[in-house]
Amino acid sequence: MPDLGDLVRAAVEAAGDGEAVEAYAQESRQTEASALRGEVEGLTFAESRGLGVRLIRDGRLGYAFAADPTVDEVRAAVVKARENATLAEPDEFNVLPDAAEVTALPELFDAASADVPTADKVQMALDLESRLVSSDPRVTKIDLAQVGDAVTRVAIASTAGVDAEYARTDAWCVAVALAVEGDETQTGFSYRIARALADVGPDDIADEAITRAVDMLGAVKPPTAKVPVILDQFAAMSFLGVLAGALNAESVLKGRSLFASMVGQQVGSDLFTLVDDGTILQGPGACPFDDEGVPSGRTELFTRGTLNGFLHDTYTAARTGDGQASTGNAKRGSYKGAPGVGTSNFYLDAGETSFDELLHRADGGVLIQDVSGVHSGANPISGEFSVGATGLRIAGGALGEPLREMTIASTLPEMLAGITGVGDDLRFFSSVGTPSILIGEMTLAGI
Amino acid sequence: MLDRSLVHEVLQAARRRGGSFAEVFVEESTNTTIRLDDGKVEELTTGLDRGAGVRVAHGTSYGYAYSNRLDRDALLEAAEAASAALRDGEGGDVVDLRTLEGPDTNRVQRAAASVPAADKVAWLRELDDVARSFSPEVIQVVGVYGDSLQRRLIAASDGRWVEEARPRIRLVAQVVAKRGDNIQTGFHGPAACAGVEFVDEHTPAATATVAAKRAVTMLDSIPAPAGEMTVVLAPGMGGVLFHEAVGHPLESDAIDKEASVYAGLVGQRCGSELLNGVDDATIPNGWGSFTFDDEGEPAQNTVLFTDGVLQGFLYDRLRADKEGVTSTGNGRRQSYAFPPVPRMTNTNILNGSSKPGDILDATEQGVWVTSLGGGQVNPATGDFVFGVSEGFLIENGQVGAPVRGANLIGRAIEVMSAIDAIADDFGTWEGVCGKDGQNAPVGSGSPTLRISKITLGGTGA
Repeated sequence: MPDLGDLVRAAVEAAGDGEAVEAYAQESRQTEASALRGEVEGLTFAESRGLGVRLIRDGRLGYAFAADPTVDEVRAAVVKARENATLAEPDEFNVLPDAAEVTALPELFDAASADVPTADKVQMALDLESRLVSSDPRVTKIDLAQVGDAVTRVAIASTAGVDAEYARTDAWCVAVALAVEGDETQTGFSYRIARALADVGPDDIADEAITRAVDMLGAVKPPTAKVPVILDQFAAMSFLGVLAGALNAESVLKGRSLFASMVGQQVGSDLFTLVDDGTILQGPGACPFDDEGVPSGRTELFTRGTLNGFLHDTYTAARTGDGQASTGNAKRGSYKGAPGVGTSNFYLDAGETSFDELLHRADGGVLIQDVSGVHSGANPISGEFSVGATGLRIAGGALGEPLREMTIASTLPEMLAGITGVGDDLRFFSSVGTPSILIGEMTLAGI
Repeated sequence: MLDRSLVHEVLQAARRRGGSFAEVFVEESTNTTIRLDDGKVEELTTGLDRGAGVRVAHGTSYGYAYSNRLDRDALLEAAEAASAALRDGEGGDVVDLRTLEGPDTNRVQRAAASVPAADKVAWLRELDDVARSFSPEVIQVVGVYGDSLQRRLIAASDGRWVEEARPRIRLVAQVVAKRGDNIQTGFHGPAACAGVEFVDEHTPAATATVAAKRAVTMLDSIPAPAGEMTVVLAPGMGGVLFHEAVGHPLESDAIDKEASVYAGLVGQRCGSELLNGVDDATIPNGWGSFTFDDEGEPAQNTVLFTDGVLQGFLYDRLRADKEGVTSTGNGRRQSYAFPPVPRMTNTNILNGSSKPGDILDATEQGVWVTSLGGGQVNPATGDFVFGVSEGFLIENGQVGAPVRGANLIGRAIEVMSAIDAIADDFGTWEGVCGKDGQNAPVGSGSPTLRISKITLGGTGA
């Protein structure tokens, strides 16, 4: 099998006169084990390799990809990208980034985790399921107990001089518990992503899934009202995903962001500081450089409620002009597509308020533990949202009656301005991290 | 795609520890995506993807391994890895592989590959022009054209050998309209398993007009009310609700785990007696249609509800074998990179006898939902939610102001029981459904129907 670095360099060598060519290659090896009723439910091994070519000629961009290519197939992909470029419109801002010095992050690759035998991963999944069904008499069934890991290598080279590679390990565990009482069933969900299998902590995840399921037993539909709301870390994370779309410079340049004209303005409360930082090692989104080879960095999007700017890749930075540089946020789903703007570790800075204190300050309100329908119910262009929610009523500084079948609705600016408390409990899920957040008032619709 | 004797050898290797069956899935797909954004053709991507997955099943347990190399070594390695999930046991047999034939469900008149990319680019330019000339308030347009041809081979140790080529085509318009600080969006994305003749019927101009009209209409919208009310769903939209709230809990993996509100309810009334629903993979050129599913089972039209009485579930091979029933042909996978899971194809509520106009006329107060943005369900609790992307107030039978910022939320059995009228104007909606990290194209269909009471989650009075 050809080396990834050799493949990307072969693409660059196939560039013609006056052409800018970039090749991105990725290979990964992934294992996922799930357990059910004390047995292996599924064991999946995945190996994939592929390469994508971005070619720019006279400002026209073409893209082509190939799965597990030979060097000849890489050259064929360059030819195909060249053909595709002839049909695209010229855009002077289609440029490749120049090579820049990258700080390696060797910590992203955990050699011990990469060497864990399959049987151990299977045992972890079995142990996770066993703990899920043996800790509380109301939880004897599960929907999911899964443990997985991936070893990934990435190589990028370009005619602009980029030539970089890195390797990473990722590990995760996911638990969905079913709590049953009478003819009612409730579900509780938890997961963690970490650098190494040793750090996914299946016991904590099992216990959290159980608690979240059992707490919901007896849930009722609440009356429609305006109340204080605490978003726990799971619920807050969903909203951060919507915010990420609106803070993407591509959305801004194309008239699709409500924040387009708000730079320099106080949009959120002064408790709201939002950061993207690809160099934070404890965040799953850490990487030495982005998906076009630009070094990762720290971008403070909001500082104490004031909007500073947006996330950029090389294209959006060039088009914005005015000295704007890429923030190192070029991302791609896989080698099958050209990069666009995305997040690295995108997180809401922790506050100083304990969760208990937040509860005291939200008396008569609701703790939201899960939101649903965010992809359809929240509009990153208009900023309006209405999402399904489940949670617990807050009374006298304590958690009480579980609530289901309700929605919470507002607009992003109103929600950000309405933040009256930020917890000290920052937690990363995937590449998004957030503490618990208290919002002064939101519309909760039920009966 | 692969030599029969090699596939036989791989299946034999996969059965070294026995198990109930072994299966090889091979795929080669080509695709074209063209994206026009901000008035420019931004990107034209073509790609070739291929790979193979080997699955070994034992009861409802399975091992799965895939590779995007198709050489003998890689396939045998995958067979070895997949069978490692099983405990040591006696090896199993592989029956001689015989080709199964089926009807040509997704017949193509003009293959996408026969049309030059420049013509496809021209369709997007027309879409962009039409959307922008719809109104001066239209400020941004995204047009996407995509086609793919996925050739697949499924062979299993029981001797089945199935080859099928699936053509897909889709045209998408997303339009942004602005008035002052008010920004609204409209979306329309028709799709089918067909050739480019699809574009004759779903023209770029028509697609653009639907999306542009939605975006501009929503500029006049007022915040949606909050609370319980009567909701009338336009053609296709009831199908989206049926897919989300009912279809997912009827998938046999949820049933097997007792993580479904419908477990144990076959033969019982679980919905309005007006409700007749099916999952039908045999609809010619339907977005969720095929000749064989991804386990090589023939496509079927499975009846889910008759007069509100639950008739059955959606099965793949693993769950069907466990229950001692035949698969309903619902084993589907996104690609060779995933093991199959039981899931829907085209899920439809069938026509009733009411007239759509009469249903609206007879509605004193409520909301008429004409476009939904997709939804989510918790199969175990039946709690579902879905976003309204275009809706209108109904007052005394009259359609009034458009409303925005709303989600519908409810519980599957209650909401299906609250259907009190179904019309005869069946229509479809094409979507992409996500489950277990896999995406699959799905059709949803229904006539106009009314739900007497459901919670709408807006911010208005």
